[in-house]
Amino acid sequence: MSVNPDTYGAFLRTKHDPALTRRRQRRDRLGQLAVQLGTVVVLAALLSIPLFLIASLAAWTPLPERAWERLGTLFAGTLKAATCALLVAVPLGIGAAVFNASFASPRFRGWFKPCLEILEAIPTVVLGLVAFATVAPWLKGHVATLLALVVAMPALLLAGGFALGARAKHANGWLPLWILPVMIAIVAVAASTSRQPLIAVTTPWNTLLIGLALGLAAVPLVFSIAEDALMLIPATHVRSALALGATRWQAFVSIVMPAARSGFIAAIVLGASRCLGETMIVLMASGNTPLADFNLLEGVRTLSAELVLGLPEAAPPGGAYRLLLLAALALFVLTFTLNLVAAQARARLHRRADRGALA
Amino acid sequence: MNVAAKGEAGTWLVAGAAAACLAALLALLAWLTLAGLAALWPSRIVEARLDDGRNALGEIVASSDAALAIRTSERDRIGGGYVRLLRSTIASTSEPDDAFVVALADGRRLYGRGDASVAAAAQRDSGSPEAEETVWPNALGFFGRAGLFVRHAGRFLATSTPAPALVGGVLPALIGTVTLVALMSLIVMPLGVAAAVYLHERRGFAASLVRGAIANLAGVPSIVYGVLGLGLFVHGLGADLDRWFFADRLPVPTFGAGGLLWAALTLAILTLPVVVVSVEEGLARIPPSLRAGSLALGATEGETIWRLLLPAARPALLTGLILAIARAAGAVAPLMLVGVVKLAPALPVDATFPYLHPSRQFMHLGFTVYDAALAGPDALRGVPRAFAAALLLVAVVVALNLFAIVLRNRLRERYRALES
Repeated sequence: MSVNPDTYGAFLRTKHDPALTRRRQRRDRLGQLAVQLGTVVVLAALLSIPLFLIASLAAWTPLPERAWERLGTLFAGTLKAATCALLVAVPLGIGAAVFNASFASPRFRGWFKPCLEILEAIPTVVLGLVAFATVAPWLKGHVATLLALVVAMPALLLAGGFALGARAKHANGWLPLWILPVMIAIVAVAASTSRQPLIAVTTPWNTLLIGLALGLAAVPLVFSIAEDALMLIPATHVRSALALGATRWQAFVSIVMPAARSGFIAAIVLGASRCLGETMIVLMASGNTPLADFNLLEGVRTLSAELVLGLPEAAPPGGAYRLLLLAALALFVLTFTLNLVAAQARARLHRRADRGALA
Repeated sequence: MNVAAKGEAGTWLVAGAAAACLAALLALLAWLTLAGLAALWPSRIVEARLDDGRNALGEIVASSDAALAIRTSERDRIGGGYVRLLRSTIASTSEPDDAFVVALADGRRLYGRGDASVAAAAQRDSGSPEAEETVWPNALGFFGRAGLFVRHAGRFLATSTPAPALVGGVLPALIGTVTLVALMSLIVMPLGVAAAVYLHERRGFAASLVRGAIANLAGVPSIVYGVLGLGLFVHGLGADLDRWFFADRLPVPTFGAGGLLWAALTLAILTLPVVVVSVEEGLARIPPSLRAGSLALGATEGETIWRLLLPAARPALLTGLILAIARAAGAVAPLMLVGVVKLAPALPVDATFPYLHPSRQFMHLGFTVYDAALAGPDALRGVPRAFAAALLLVAVVVALNLFAIVLRNRLRERYRALES
């Protein structure tokens, strides 16, 4: 890149023109001022969230009766939905990250990451729509099929691994693309079988459905954080292990996995934070029934859904409004704390990577 | 087979996880495309004869093993023509070639058999002054249907949404989304770039405070931003503005109710971290030698940033903007608190001065998806409509993201070239 001729010319002229120098310095200061002003606005905007929530809660209005009970129910619902979603997001996200970082061929990696970025970009209202209108009617009659798939799929994969994978010296870098058609075929066959449902459900919009949809929404985040951590592990360590006769899987289990542990923790924690605050999926596909139990076949109502449903009707100084702000604060504190924990874990990993102390 | 090699089976498990992610993405996109396009594809008209001699003429809108739901002529109101027929009572079904459907301007549909004069008579009887279209779908070949499909798609994109049935086009929602996102970009870009430049230039406590705030608030759920927008902007700032400048109109709120401006501000805060992070990353990738060279030639700090660093980081700015737009276009939950409505009386942009009306409520594509599917007056029409709107939304968002990804890859190559 060449130097901008204007700048260079201006420099030559300044030698003889003190007025121009002053003008340039003034412009510079103005520019700096603009940058600082912008930054202050950004900081103010970002910090206004906690400040606003705390300040408006400090103005005392009596909470409606049984407010804490209500909050407790919502909190339990939020936790239930998020736990269920994590059970989907963590195995898929971390598993995919592990494959991508340690076993995939470079070209597969180049394609796979953008695919998950696209998945992340799909608006959650769309995921909610598909869960509500497409998956729910199917799931109503196929809870047993779903559970069978969840158990059978890993078993089939392991069986496939023992039967076919052991023969190859190194894992196939394109393996997911081989598995993909078989997996789609199995799921399609299982999904289209219609029998009398083995497990009867009262509502098609239940926590199981939320777990699937919310979990899918959180997969890309878990994936990218975990993959980020795995990529920090120096390739030389793995190569040394391979040179000493370890298989790729052994090298991964004994060297990469322990070193990337804090990264996995960060991925899980951030995934949890994402699941706790997600709104549209829960709003559309959960039935929004405020129940505090641990039945996965019942609906839930979460803090976020309560905010969307309740706030437009609540008038500012009232007790109901205050209760909802309290719910928002709870959500904020919860997610913010989780984010801090994850940031700490990631920072630790990066520090160790910089020191060369990984593995 | 030795013991060590057995462990290799574990790679199949993680490969399975990767395959499941791909399968989910493919299934999702395929289903959305299918369902979204099917909503606009002309369906056939079925005549079902029942055992007791009655017959029903209309479109099949839902079917299960036990029953069929058919939309027959809606003579008095929209959604008033659904009949549910048990399969055991149906003697025969046929698709007569002379069956026609009249789509009335108010969204109702009439079905019948006969030629154009019969259709015209049916339309006159319905009390509706005009028909949007009259077609004989069963008589059409594939290309005839495709033509009809294109016409439906055009109408879906380019006509407005009539009250109260909420059928018809999504143009107001499209305009609302675009206006909102454009206004948000105008707010977020200068602020985000300023903060990124600051973070790039400075080290120290203030910089680490900004950095920490951005990193941690990026993960705060969008609904919390919506609560902030409602409480601080609508109930706080908006109410104040009303008291100072629009006191004559009170108690009717002007800015004291949700509107375009507050929604844009809320989304701007929501997308700030995205912009700051990607612009700062772009600035950080510029080799320090460029900057040193500029300073050595006598350019001031400001001139270096304005004329050298920011132009060199232009693709990063664009990436940040695109990602912010994609995130904003998909955010629905915060908007539901700060001014999105299912049916806005007027567009936020129009031909009367001052052209842009920041206090008006607006419609939004993402909210249309939610509203049509869950809160619409007619669920059997609403869900296909929601899928069509969802397809449109996903197409826009995915296209923007793909563009950002391509841009980012090109950016990397460019920096690599700069360094060498």
